[in-house]
Amino acid sequence: MTTLRARAAEARQVALWYEPAPDGPSGRVWIPAGAGHRAVPVSEAFKSRLLAALLELEPQPGAWLAVLGADAGGLGAGERLALRSRIGFLPANGGMISNLNGWENIVLPLGYRDAKRVNPAAPKVHALIERLGGSPRALLAKLPEEMTLYEKKLAGYVRMLLEAPELVVAENLTGGLEHDERRRTAAFPAAYHAERPEGVFVQLDDAPDQ
Amino acid sequence: MFAVYRELEGSTRLAAHVLRRVWVLRFPPVMEELVRQIYFTGASATATIVVRGAFIGTLIIAYVIEVLEADAALAVKMLLWVVLREIGPLIAAVLVIQRSGTAVATELALMKISGEVDSLRHLRIDPRDHLVVPRVIGISLSLAALTLYVQFIAVGGGMVLSALVINASFSELASNFFLLASPLDLAYSIVKSLLFGGAIGVIACYYGLNPPGRSINAVPKAAISAVTQSTIAVMIINVVFAYLAYGVALFGLFTAKV
Repeated sequence: MTTLRARAAEARQVALWYEPAPDGPSGRVWIPAGAGHRAVPVSEAFKSRLLAALLELEPQPGAWLAVLGADAGGLGAGERLALRSRIGFLPANGGMISNLNGWENIVLPLGYRDAKRVNPAAPKVHALIERLGGSPRALLAKLPEEMTLYEKKLAGYVRMLLEAPELVVAENLTGGLEHDERRRTAAFPAAYHAERPEGVFVQLDDAPDQ
Repeated sequence: MFAVYRELEGSTRLAAHVLRRVWVLRFPPVMEELVRQIYFTGASATATIVVRGAFIGTLIIAYVIEVLEADAALAVKMLLWVVLREIGPLIAAVLVIQRSGTAVATELALMKISGEVDSLRHLRIDPRDHLVVPRVIGISLSLAALTLYVQFIAVGGGMVLSALVINASFSELASNFFLLASPLDLAYSIVKSLLFGGAIGVIACYYGLNPPGRSINAVPKAAISAVTQSTIAVMIINVVFAYLAYGVALFGLFTAKV
């Protein structure tokens, strides 16, 4: 009981804290609130458990998950939805939808949650793409199959920035990119913190080769 | 047997979701998907249906007048019974199964395998809202419109072609048609088409979202299952509808005036 209370108290200080169930893969993620961080999972099994728990906000039985100061295991369905809306996730492949062009992909979540913001968001989208080293006119007109991996990640990132969540988890941000593109991703955290200065940016790398 | 039950239950749940969540069409991305679906299923399919429709109308009139040696009135009655009520919706349904049923199942299976369905979830968008609702409604509306188109082409084109290629008077055929046709014939076929379209859409989406595996081989399997099950569903709906219309429930409503 004391351990649980201590954990709950400690959870209030952290942005992301995950420990898998004792019978699961070993590892631990503990990321304090504020600024940017880089997490290297010990194994791919651990990483997939972490992402599954984080994106569903339902830790496996015996696992521990605290996100943005809240113990995810103790949340009701409504509270989980509310907490999930404060988390942004950028998958390694950018998470594009193949039958939508760049613009439609970027404003897709806004179209569902705040359609009035879609058209006024255009100047901001252009500015963000330019700031992150992309060509707005070309990128917004392209279908995902015509985009490079960097462009997919860029479009996915801009899409996330429009909602500026409190916690951003970018999966293997630099994976599969050319040297010049990797250099350009260095500007990603700064672009996020310009939108949300107190936000937490986490780069979740691939596990090192076993 | 368990698989059949599971597929039936899954499709039923998907259909219930569509009915419960029709209101998501007010979201611009869903409306855009609906417009795309209507364009693909309805507008771009019209050209392929013209020749089939006109030939079927001609065939029926020619068969009745030349082979059965009947008069123009019976030829028009056959057009009404066969084309307006039965063949029109069926031709449109077969065309939609061939084109849109396979396309939707393949597209969704690929999206599922490539992780795009998960991407939608990560964006906190219900994939059924974004992918299933507009496709099912789009296919339903398009099929109803295509049915009207087939009926118009088959009846009109059939009468025109018959006047040109066999010894039939266009004015006699047309006057008989307007004398015998009833709005109920049209309503019957449109309601049936909407149901056909709903069934085709739901089944194609179900198999697309539940491919039998995560490899690329699962995609054609999903498409084959969608086509097979859609065809069976359309036949079942047709039989049930015919029974309801001509049998117990609506007895006499559509009886032919021979």
